[in-house]
Amino acid sequence: MALCAFSFPAHVNQATSPDAQRSPSFSSHFTRGTNLLCPSQEKLHYVRKRPGGICASLSERGPEYHSQRPPTPLLDTINYPIHMKNLSTKELKQLADELRSDVIFNVSRTGGHLGSSLGVVELTVALHYVFNAPQDKILWDVGHQSYPHKILTGRRDKMHTIRQTNGLSGFTKRSESEFDCFGTGHSSTTISAGLGMAVGRDLKGRNNNVVAVIGDGAMTAGQAYEAMNNAGYLDSDMIVILNDNKQVSLPTANLDGPIPPVGALSSALSRLQSNRPLRELREVAKGVTKQIGGPMHELAAKVDEYARGMIGGSGSTLFEELGLYYIGPVDGHNIDDLVAILKEVKSTKTTGPVLIHVVTEKGRGYPYAEKAADKYHGVAKFDPATGKQFKSKAPTQSYTTYFAEALIAEAEVDKDIVAIHAAMGGGTGLNLFLRRFPTRCFDVGIAEQHAVTFAAGLACEGIKPFCTIYSSFLQRAYDQVVHDVDLQKLPVRFAMDRAGLVGADGPTHCGSFDVTFMACLPNMVVMAPSDEAELFHMVATAAAIDDRPSCFRYPRGNGIGVQLPTRNKGIPIEVGKGRILLEGERVALLGYGTAVQSCLGAASLMESHGLSLTVADARFCKPLDRALIRSLAKSHEILITVEEGSIGGFGSHVAQFMALDGLLDGKTKWRPLVLPDRYIEHGSPTDQLAEAGLTPSHIAATVFNILGQTREALEIMS
Amino acid sequence: MRCYGFTPIQGSDSRLFHLPTTRLINIPNSNSRFSFSHSSFFTSKLVSATCMPPVSLRTTARAAVNDGLMTEEAAAASGLSFYELLGIPESGSLVDIKQAYKQLARKYHPDVSPPGRAEEYTKRFIRVQEAYEILSDPGRRALYDRDLAKGLHLAFSARRQYQSNEGMEERGEWKNRWQAQLSGLKRRSMNKDADGNLSWGARMRRQRDELANEL
Repeated sequence: MALCAFSFPAHVNQATSPDAQRSPSFSSHFTRGTNLLCPSQEKLHYVRKRPGGICASLSERGPEYHSQRPPTPLLDTINYPIHMKNLSTKELKQLADELRSDVIFNVSRTGGHLGSSLGVVELTVALHYVFNAPQDKILWDVGHQSYPHKILTGRRDKMHTIRQTNGLSGFTKRSESEFDCFGTGHSSTTISAGLGMAVGRDLKGRNNNVVAVIGDGAMTAGQAYEAMNNAGYLDSDMIVILNDNKQVSLPTANLDGPIPPVGALSSALSRLQSNRPLRELREVAKGVTKQIGGPMHELAAKVDEYARGMIGGSGSTLFEELGLYYIGPVDGHNIDDLVAILKEVKSTKTTGPVLIHVVTEKGRGYPYAEKAADKYHGVAKFDPATGKQFKSKAPTQSYTTYFAEALIAEAEVDKDIVAIHAAMGGGTGLNLFLRRFPTRCFDVGIAEQHAVTFAAGLACEGIKPFCTIYSSFLQRAYDQVVHDVDLQKLPVRFAMDRAGLVGADGPTHCGSFDVTFMACLPNMVVMAPSDEAELFHMVATAAAIDDRPSCFRYPRGNGIGVQLPTRNKGIPIEVGKGRILLEGERVALLGYGTAVQSCLGAASLMESHGLSLTVADARFCKPLDRALIRSLAKSHEILITVEEGSIGGFGSHVAQFMALDGLLDGKTKWRPLVLPDRYIEHGSPTDQLAEAGLTPSHIAATVFNILGQTREALEIMS
Repeated sequence: MRCYGFTPIQGSDSRLFHLPTTRLINIPNSNSRFSFSHSSFFTSKLVSATCMPPVSLRTTARAAVNDGLMTEEAAAASGLSFYELLGIPESGSLVDIKQAYKQLARKYHPDVSPPGRAEEYTKRFIRVQEAYEILSDPGRRALYDRDLAKGLHLAFSARRQYQSNEGMEERGEWKNRWQAQLSGLKRRSMNKDADGNLSWGARMRRQRDELANEL
């Protein structure tokens, strides 16, 4: 594939003149003559950097990228990494370009994580070229940058299904492919897992390589240090690649612009990158080493080590002190450098743990991503030529936004309210809070454990902290919740976003366990809003509960469209009081959280069959509204508890109470509806809910089944 | 104190300033900024700089670091730092920068300029826009502040080339550094598993090698 037919010289000239108003048909000329054109010509489109946004929108200046998928002749020949082994460096570069455009066009069709994948294209190519997956283990931390890896390891034809029901996972997954050696989704786990794989290899007497790729954001988590500390001690051969793109928080911007790095580690890393003033001293040290060299290997090595320690800047000594040999910084977009270094490290026999500090740029290669403040970290479907995302207009806003507004309204009135999050300013909506109260919003980096204990410390001083962490990420901080907050009865408020099933992110981000693990704690108040107005009231309730910890959970997705309280200020609810939404007979549905909406849907389905159900919103799992449960149990034959959580949650607490209170000794039947005892795979929210069996139809069918009307049950389900 | 030892003399003639800078153009560009400011320190002992509070020392330096082409106008206008151009203090926050930029952009946009002064306004507009571009990005702002502290303020148009050149130079340095690190790794690995090393990994490796030798 070395043929470059210059069949369109006129067009080439047009491309090189600046400010050419390029029409979309121009790029299609390239795509039509597929095999004849040298793909390097396409670089002319986007290699020039334009100055950032003046008033004129980008589309007025003409599209800065292809609108059609460009031909990828080299990538078409690569199905597995083994097909890459005979490529020359020039071909590797071409492969990287084709891979990049492939990623962009795939993500433009499906949505997903774009910026991070673009930043590691060259690194992925270099890794697969030098190492022999799957015998050599390559681990990708978090996994959202693994799109190029998936394309190169036999899943290119399935990329159009990524993050969809029955499609590829958006993160690495062991059951999907043998090239994904470890499942990721939460961050900072790869060094630990990689060390485990390295030690396992040593115990079994094998000799493959283990490479763990981790980002600078994930480095802010404690587990990365625990792992490096252990790696340094055990001294097993492994390679850690620190992918440094200076984006420590997500999204990598707040509402007003790029986020400056959070924490001291980032400045240490950037000092590593720019060591200029000490360079001369280093030259001297090198000269001394050279002189000493020759037969005195050990002494020379010692001198070199001291020299490096002296002048390597405080950052490299951090890794060196932990016992990893530091190499870098390295330009992460230069394939020659990467291949040279990786080959060298691979060929060295006994290295112990090595850390290669690679500097990349998030969103590299796609002009719109490079310029965007959030570097197109996570995008919906978009148009590749203009970078415009297709965001559907919903009539209501997300629960996340409502939460942020509610918290702002509370904080206006109460000066002691502060918000804490762990590197998720955008995902938790706290960027809005940050903009309104810049000194009262704390981003601690990816450190949930620290966030919880930090909140506990704040609460000791009379501050009212709202710890806003995704339900599934709070799992990390469970001991801190139990020991530091609940045991001491400190009034920390936990706002658990993404509770229940979360859609495309899949089981790694699914918040199914929070009712279970929060409601079993003795001092915790556990509540869940059934709609956005209730969310406002519960934020106010949590703000008012000042003598014990409290938590509330809300799902991903948009509100249902109820009226919001005036000026976004909720009214505290009486703790331990539920409410009845629909009065009926014989069967009562007691819902917890947004499952109440599914219950209402089921009730309306049953109306057409002549049955009227009672629907109640429990609001509190702890303390339970005992009077409500007693009255429901006494006046109905059947009580069904519904929640979008695992076993051991709301339903179990109701059952426990009913059993102890003697309510199950008569003719009352109790049935629970919970998430099934298996992980629900990623897909669209409706598909997931159907898979879990919690749709209104499923609830109605359950009622029919209990009533003995199995025919109607089947009818509803089909 | 940012004047780097220059004694401020009242009313010193800024024309004296230009003399050493024109000489500096001939100085070979070895370590670019670092040596540049060093040589300016040593060779211009006779020249006093005017330290104008609150901004640091400014030199109307030609873009000697690279071959940046500059017009006379740009040279004259580059006497202002970005902060002065936008009219905000050096500690200005992002919000201040944005506000100032929006105000000035609206004022100097070529479409609303008074007739006859369109060109001048356009030039100002471009400068304001560059200032915003650099100051709004924390990374580039940090670099710029560092240069300002060292007493260099390069012309606007030169800055873009400067940054990419600086990028190239840094990359070149990086290459030397990691090559040295790689040779250090090789050297270290020769002695790593000597019998004295009792780490778990070393023991396993020795075990593995022994097994391999037996076979």
